[in-house]
Formats: sequence, structure tokens, C-alpha cells
Amino acid sequence: MVRAAQAGSADAFAELVHSYRTRLLRFLLTRCSNYADAEDALQDTLINAYRYIRSYDPRWRFSTWLYRIAIRNAAKLHTPDVVEIGDLRDEESDPLLQCISDSESENLWANARHLLNDEVFSAMWLRYAEDMSVNDISKALDRSVSWTKVNLLRGRRALDAEMNSAGKESQAYG
Amino acid sequence: MDKLADRLRQDADKIEVTVSDELDHRIAASLRSVTPQVDSGVAPDSRRPALFWWASSLTGVAAAVAVIVIVNTQQPVETSTPTPANIVAAVPVIDWKTETAMLTGQLQQELDDLESDIKKAEKKVREEIGL
Repeated sequence: MVRAAQAGSADAFAELVHSYRTRLLRFLLTRCSNYADAEDALQDTLINAYRYIRSYDPRWRFSTWLYRIAIRNAAKLHTPDVVEIGDLRDEESDPLLQCISDSESENLWANARHLLNDEVFSAMWLRYAEDMSVNDISKALDRSVSWTKVNLLRGRRALDAEMNSAGKESQAYG
Repeated sequence: MDKLADRLRQDADKIEVTVSDELDHRIAASLRSVTPQVDSGVAPDSRRPALFWWASSLTGVAAAVAVIVIVNTQQPVETSTPTPANIVAAVPVIDWKTETAMLTGQLQQELDDLESDIKKAEKKVREEIGL
């Protein structure tokens, strides 16, 4: 399918990325200020991936390559030259919180966004939500393997502490 | 699987997203309008032909030979070295006293003025005291 896409078949490419769309959108949603931006980022990611499909190296996992493009697109959206008031996240307009049902308000990923910087958040997401290996994460983030290991550990510690403190609070109030 | 990893995986699954039909059509339409670029990820070939390196090597060798030949075949230029007697004659005689006077003349005048002012002030004080 990759070869057909590299030969210029848009249908083959669409079939190839079909299973990744929802996963990519979920990831992009955690990095964008609203749902529409996440959808635009998904569209840009897939278009860029298809445009540069001939530069895809089969030694990489396809998902790693796709996430690398998605991370770059998200970074472009995340650091605008001018921050508009409407782009600022708040509890009511946060697209991630809107996609988490009320009964699951204590979602660790929502807290992770405030505790971790973008790169560490992405590394944690790829590791725990996407089950990627450390090598693949370092490729996707264009970082060294040691950087990835260290920052995954830091992220884990931060989220562990958050999870434990939330647990203690709920016990205290419970 | 540890507790945190389990929790993170479960929480990721709880983020409910759906790719709408409208977005799906938009993506499909965009993909049809794009054509994959040929070798886009590869930088343009900047290699020079082998002849270029031969030509530049020969030019360098030729330049080095030319410099060596010029340096070794050049006749030493005879320069007239002045004798000690000529050097003495060539050195201008400086009127040191005149120059010193020119440099210190203004300072001396300033000093005289200050001394005169001090004397005047001293005289005035003596008169006021009644000495």
C-alpha cells in the first residue's frame, strides 16, 4: 500500500492512513486550542504526509513517520505569532475537556498538559497512548534516545505524583 | 503493566473523538488535489564533477610552483645602507631648552598667578584681623 501511495495513488494513501485518523485527531486535540484547529492540523498532516510520501523510509514505522509530521504541524499551530483572546484555553472552551465525559473529569492527560511541556507531553503520549518504543519516540520527536528516556522518566514522576495526590485528596474527602 | 501506564492508556481511550464525514470528505478532496513530490525529502545534489577537483588541484599546484620560481629567481635589490657618519648627519638637532620652555611656559605663568592670589588673600586676612 505504501508503494502504491508512493506511486501517486491517493486512494491507496487514504486507505493506508484510515486507521490512524482517529488516533492522530485525539493526539492533536491535546495540542490544539480548539476542535477546529485539531481537524485542520489533521488535514495538514495527512496532506503533508502524502506530498512527501516518496521521502518515507520503510526502515521507519509508518506511524512514527506520521506522528513526526503531526508533531511539527501541532507545533506550528501551538506557537502563533499573535495569541488571540479566543485561542486561550479555559475550562469551558477546552476541546480536550469537552471530549472527556463529565463522569471522567479526572483525566490524567488533562492534568499532564499543565504539568509537562509540549515535547515531554508528546513523548508520554506516544509511549503510553500509542505504545511506541523509546527509539521510535526519539525519531518522532527528533531527539536522542537518552533525552527521550530521561524525559519519559521525568514525565512519569510528575504524573505519578499528581495521581497519588489526587488519590489522597479523594480519600480525604471520601 | 504498572498502574500509571494502565491509567494513562485508559484515560487516552476516554477522550472521545470522531472524524466527521465532512472532515473525511475534505481530507479526501485535498489528497486528490496533491501530487507526491519527487525526492522532496532529499537535498538537491550539490556534488561537483570529478573534473572540477582535478582542475582545482592543478591550479593550486601551478600557483605554488609559480611562487617558488619567482622567489628563487628574483635578484636581491641592492640598497644603499647609510654609514654611521651619515646617520649622525641625518638626525636633526633638537633645541631641547626651547622646547621645554614652550611646554612649561603656561604652567609657570599659572603658578605665578596662584602665588600672587595667595599673597593678596593673605594680606587681606591680616588687614581684617588687624595685624
